[in-house]
Amino acid sequence: MQIVQRATNPWGQDVLLGIDWSLFWIALIAGGVFLILHLALRRRWIGEEKKAAANAPDDPGLPKKIQRHSLASRLFHGVMGISMILLLITGFLPKVGLQFAWLEIHWITGLILTASIVFHIIHATFFQSLKNVWVGLSDLGDMMREMRKAVTGGEPPAKPGKYPAAQKMFHHAATLAGMAAIVTGILMMWRIEQPLWAQDDYKFFGDGGWGWVYVLHGVGGVVLVTLTVAHVYFAILPEKRWMTWSMILGWIDRKDYLRHHDPAKWPVSGGK
Amino acid sequence: MAVINDMIPDFELYQPESLDGALEVLDRHRESAWVLAGGMDTFDWFKDRVKRPEAVVDLGAIPELSGISETDGGIEIGAMTPLTAVVDNELIRERYGILAEAAETVATPQIRNQGTLGGNLVQDTRCWYYRAGWPCYRAGGNICYADTPESMNREHCIFDASRCVAVTPSDTAPALIVLDAEMVIRGRRGERTVAAEDFFVGPAIDITRMTVLQPNEVLQSVRIPDTWAGADFYFEKVRDRNAWDFPLVNVASAMRVEDEVVQDCRLSVGAVSPVPLRMERCEELLRGQTISEDIATRIAELGVIGAKPLRHNGYKVPLMRNLIRRAIRGQAPV
Amino acid sequence: MAKTLVGTDYAPPDLIEKITGRAKYAEDWRAEGMLFAKQLLSPMPHARVRNIDASAALAMEGVEAVLTADDLAEYMGEPGPLDERSLTNHPKYEGEPVLAVAAVTEKIAADAIEKIRVDFEPLPFALDPLDSIAPGGANSLPDGNSIIRRRTDTGMETVVERVEWTAEDLATARGSNGEKGRMPGGVFQDEWTNGDLEKGFADADYIIDEPLFFQSVTHHPMEPRSCMAHWDGDTCHLYPSTQSVAFTLLAGQGTVGVPPQNLIVHAEYTGGGFGSKIVGTSNMAVPVYLAKKTGKPVMHRVTRYEENYIGRARPGFQGWARIGFKNDGRISAFDWAVIQDNGPYGRQSDMGTSGNMVSLTYQPESMRHRGLSIATNTPPRAPQRAPGGVQMSAMVEPLLDRAADHLGIDRLTIRQINIAKNGAKFGEAEGRNVTTAYVAEAWDRLAEMVDWEEAKARSGQMNGSKVTGVGLASSTYTAGSSGFDGLMLITPEGRLEIHTGIGNLGTHSFSDTARVAADLLDVPWEKVDMVWGDTGKGVPHTCVQAGSQTTHAITRATHAAATDMKTKLQELAAQVHGGSASQYVVAGERVYRRGNRAAGLSLAQAAEKAIELGGRYDGTELNEGLSPITLGGAAVLKGRGLLAAAKDNYGRAGDVYSWVVAYAEIELDKETGVIELTDYKAVTDCGTVLNPRSLGGQLHGGAVQGFGCAVGQKWVYDPQWGIPFANRFYTARPATILDVPLAMEWDAVNMPDPNNPVGSKGIGEPPMGAGCASLLCAIQDALGQDTVAYLPLMTDHIINQLEGREQDSEFLAAHT
Repeated sequence: MQIVQRATNPWGQDVLLGIDWSLFWIALIAGGVFLILHLALRRRWIGEEKKAAANAPDDPGLPKKIQRHSLASRLFHGVMGISMILLLITGFLPKVGLQFAWLEIHWITGLILTASIVFHIIHATFFQSLKNVWVGLSDLGDMMREMRKAVTGGEPPAKPGKYPAAQKMFHHAATLAGMAAIVTGILMMWRIEQPLWAQDDYKFFGDGGWGWVYVLHGVGGVVLVTLTVAHVYFAILPEKRWMTWSMILGWIDRKDYLRHHDPAKWPVSGGK
Repeated sequence: MAVINDMIPDFELYQPESLDGALEVLDRHRESAWVLAGGMDTFDWFKDRVKRPEAVVDLGAIPELSGISETDGGIEIGAMTPLTAVVDNELIRERYGILAEAAETVATPQIRNQGTLGGNLVQDTRCWYYRAGWPCYRAGGNICYADTPESMNREHCIFDASRCVAVTPSDTAPALIVLDAEMVIRGRRGERTVAAEDFFVGPAIDITRMTVLQPNEVLQSVRIPDTWAGADFYFEKVRDRNAWDFPLVNVASAMRVEDEVVQDCRLSVGAVSPVPLRMERCEELLRGQTISEDIATRIAELGVIGAKPLRHNGYKVPLMRNLIRRAIRGQAPV
Repeated sequence: MAKTLVGTDYAPPDLIEKITGRAKYAEDWRAEGMLFAKQLLSPMPHARVRNIDASAALAMEGVEAVLTADDLAEYMGEPGPLDERSLTNHPKYEGEPVLAVAAVTEKIAADAIEKIRVDFEPLPFALDPLDSIAPGGANSLPDGNSIIRRRTDTGMETVVERVEWTAEDLATARGSNGEKGRMPGGVFQDEWTNGDLEKGFADADYIIDEPLFFQSVTHHPMEPRSCMAHWDGDTCHLYPSTQSVAFTLLAGQGTVGVPPQNLIVHAEYTGGGFGSKIVGTSNMAVPVYLAKKTGKPVMHRVTRYEENYIGRARPGFQGWARIGFKNDGRISAFDWAVIQDNGPYGRQSDMGTSGNMVSLTYQPESMRHRGLSIATNTPPRAPQRAPGGVQMSAMVEPLLDRAADHLGIDRLTIRQINIAKNGAKFGEAEGRNVTTAYVAEAWDRLAEMVDWEEAKARSGQMNGSKVTGVGLASSTYTAGSSGFDGLMLITPEGRLEIHTGIGNLGTHSFSDTARVAADLLDVPWEKVDMVWGDTGKGVPHTCVQAGSQTTHAITRATHAAATDMKTKLQELAAQVHGGSASQYVVAGERVYRRGNRAAGLSLAQAAEKAIELGGRYDGTELNEGLSPITLGGAAVLKGRGLLAAAKDNYGRAGDVYSWVVAYAEIELDKETGVIELTDYKAVTDCGTVLNPRSLGGQLHGGAVQGFGCAVGQKWVYDPQWGIPFANRFYTARPATILDVPLAMEWDAVNMPDPNNPVGSKGIGEPPMGAGCASLLCAIQDALGQDTVAYLPLMTDHIINQLEGREQDSEFLAAHT
């Protein structure tokens, strides 16, 4: 199996073209394998979790609904999610044999995604606490404990603040892959006709440089395929749905708050 | 690997005597198979070692693919029928003269003897960057060499570019579109038919192919209904020299005119887009009109709206406009 | 006067072989154990080879050898940095051969090429001379952008220099802010002035100042330059595609490193050359040294694609003309400046010749010529049919029409006013003169043939969307050299065997020139045997088959040898029958005493007598002054009959030039830009007509080549990669038979040039310029007077002009 596609350029030089599209299937399979493994391991702790959920503590002193995501965050997440799905569909389906006019949808969606991420960066920087997503050493320890618990059934990690370590890690992995795809995608727009600037296929790089741009775009894309599979999987897992609903409704139930979060790390400041 | 031209590499040659036999081989080899008709497009690719199929399926010995026959509602032309036979066929000349006329402008007399109608329709684009074997989008690469600020794109498209700016080179395609022809496609799972105008695929949808033909399918024949038999036809091809040249722009029209009023019409333009264009908006405007210089000019002007010329092909816009005008009112001003 | 062979149509002696396909061109040769060669071409326009790894190729079954530039250096010595060799480690254009493989089949050789790894280091490259001379422009060669020849204490040397113009000069030359380019200042290398140019312009009533463009054009002869070679001990047998047989032998040391005494050239048939195969071809060393390396015969078949690269091309011109006309149409001043797109090797003479052609054709009262040759990373250039002359005619003739229309003068008249006559002076300091120039007579005849008044009336007539355009043009070029040898034999069978060392490239001149001898000796053509195309069979020193030299030069040499033969026949007859030689006449296949046919010898008897006597009659003793190659040729024939060999010592009062004047009529569709050439007529002054049918072929064939040059042939380069696309017949678009009228007419003034014993001059060169320029004039006539002076005038240019659109390429940009 090849990882990258290569070609001979007009000067007879061997150059990179991009990733081999079979990586899409690998990414999809990787997502599927993770999903199956997780489902298999989940059987070991899901009963306990359900029990814990039934006996969850409560604190009537706290508001019934604890706000977890602002409207702006939810809108961003929605736009980003739809964009991402559209980008993956338009990016990969034609490569695996389903032909349709994908290019315009792809780059326009890409720009929407870019705009939403710019918004998100500004919003998160100036209106939210970056600390919430900061991955510290304790997060890494929590991650390890979480994984150990999943595999061997050990002690669970301590309750997190607003975001569990795994969610933070996912965010950063998606950020890395997404930024690679976005930055390279914007560069690639010099190689297509669009209304924003004049097409110039030779701008910025030589053959070799452009090859890397396409490789990074492809790698970002296939990583996002795996991450999306995982993300969608967790979103529909029953025990995670409180989080899914929070991304739609904006709030979580007080019980979920107390069960999944450490109020000391994420003190409640608002609610209904 | 060093590049060398002008030497055909090895391949397995199949010369089936039945279409089923050919389809069986094609199905077996799929993407690594190549369909050989007259060879006029094929051997260029092979000689330069740009296309290197494992299996070549020569359709030359399959009788059912050749010949022109009258059907209930028109005629059917086997895809392997030589262009010269199309040009010389009495029935075609009498009822579908535009096809004979278009076929007669293809290449040279020698090439028309060897080249087939099917080959003329499914041939690959002549973009010289692509045919030189450069790794462009159409060849699976990540660039259109013909669409950079300095590219030599005099022959390329002014409509429907989508990463690739190559044009359809066929002369018979616009004629068949105005004749409302159907392409009969055979695969192992049977026969399917596609309207001539839907037979061609632009790069927005599939950048590596020119037609809807799948790797395990063969164009079997072209069926022409009698809808436009004996209509008023116009075909013109503008090229750089009178032989062995592809169109800079070609145009075809069919009209039914009564009392000088256009009752119905079809119009198609080639070599301005990756696919032969059916000019439906022009047709719509033309129906019910009395042909005049003014009408022809106005409709022709509308026909080129939206054209986006490249660095070196701005001339195609007025050329296309003038050819549409002539397709409506004839060669001479009225 | 008895009908002579000279001036009569005939079937040339190669006709049957050609039409039956038995004629052997270079790639038809086969030899026992013959290998085939294929070449690896440079993929880059300018590069250095850092490393070659051919191990995988050499390990293949059937691969016998790989030949590199280093191997050639071992065999032929190190080349100079600017020398072109068959193979190179420093390719200077995309497509330049780097190495060659010999294998038992061509297919194996090609497969082997694909397995070779060559590490190329890309170097800066230049495709357009004007871009290269711009401040900071790329150089095409490591040390500059122009190849110059200069005199040193020890002789001539070739060096490279960097030429750069100022931005201001370039802006003037190219034009700016919507203004057309004008005659620039700038640096030029050639420069001369005749008369008082300033006064000439001051005297002028109308001045034209125009930029001009003429594209580079590949020669594209029908037969590519394939070549076979094998060695027999130290003797190399070479089977090239060449225009000249004797000179390919003579040039062997330089081209393939084999001296004439070790070389035998076999080349009976050549499918055209147009100046690209004058002494053989640049690739001949490939089969020669692969054969040496393998000890087997090697065939190198050259494809059309390769021919495009190594097959030579005419240099393009970026030029400017500033011409002052008096009210009566007389040219009082002609300022001519051209930049020549020279390609990467040897400096071409086109630009210098173009100045001479201006001077000769229009006889301006004053003129200045300036030329600059800029090397580019495009295929090597070579003379092509009227080098410099075609460019000049095509670029200037339309300007004459503009002046005529502006001044209200008839377009024929303006040409007749500015005309060369017998003995006309021309060139730098008007230091040269032509022998004859019956141009006025040619114009008169043409005007009569086309009914010029009627033709003029058709100009501008509309037929639907088509407008009629008519054009006149003249073209001239060199038409003969002198000083070569003739060699012939009368055999004991009574046949006249004429040996020639010129090539047979389809013009029939190899046998046309021999008919002079048959006439002089009164031998029927059926009794003449031509021996040509094989230096092993005895050839005399004959001219290169180029520059239209042959007809003039070889009729002279043949005449000299035939005269020698006649003298010897008379002497032999006198020896047998008594009396003085002058009492004997040669006629009716006999030499006999005047008035007594019985007192003489048949040719067969004379041959036997010569063998019997030996000495100066059978070739044992030869005349003084013969070239070594003739001596070698005569040695082959010695003792076979009555041998005559003589050098052309006839005098000559000037340079020999031929002329063609032509008329083209077109219909131009104003909606599509399509041009249909509806009529073409040409009249020539080429001295006495030798072979009318063949002359017609030259006049029309050359014109068709000119038509392609005018409206069809265009190099197109991708500027980013320096790679051309017009590299086969389809993309190069020479004119085809369907692009010309079925019936084209011609005539000749048929006035003998007194500098030739039969009055003949050559004719190969000028028909192309006349065809090209007359078509351009007709297009200009149809389009109106603002036509750009640009070649090729292709459909896009014409449509843009008709529509008043800006052209899609910058006017003086090369290869776009």
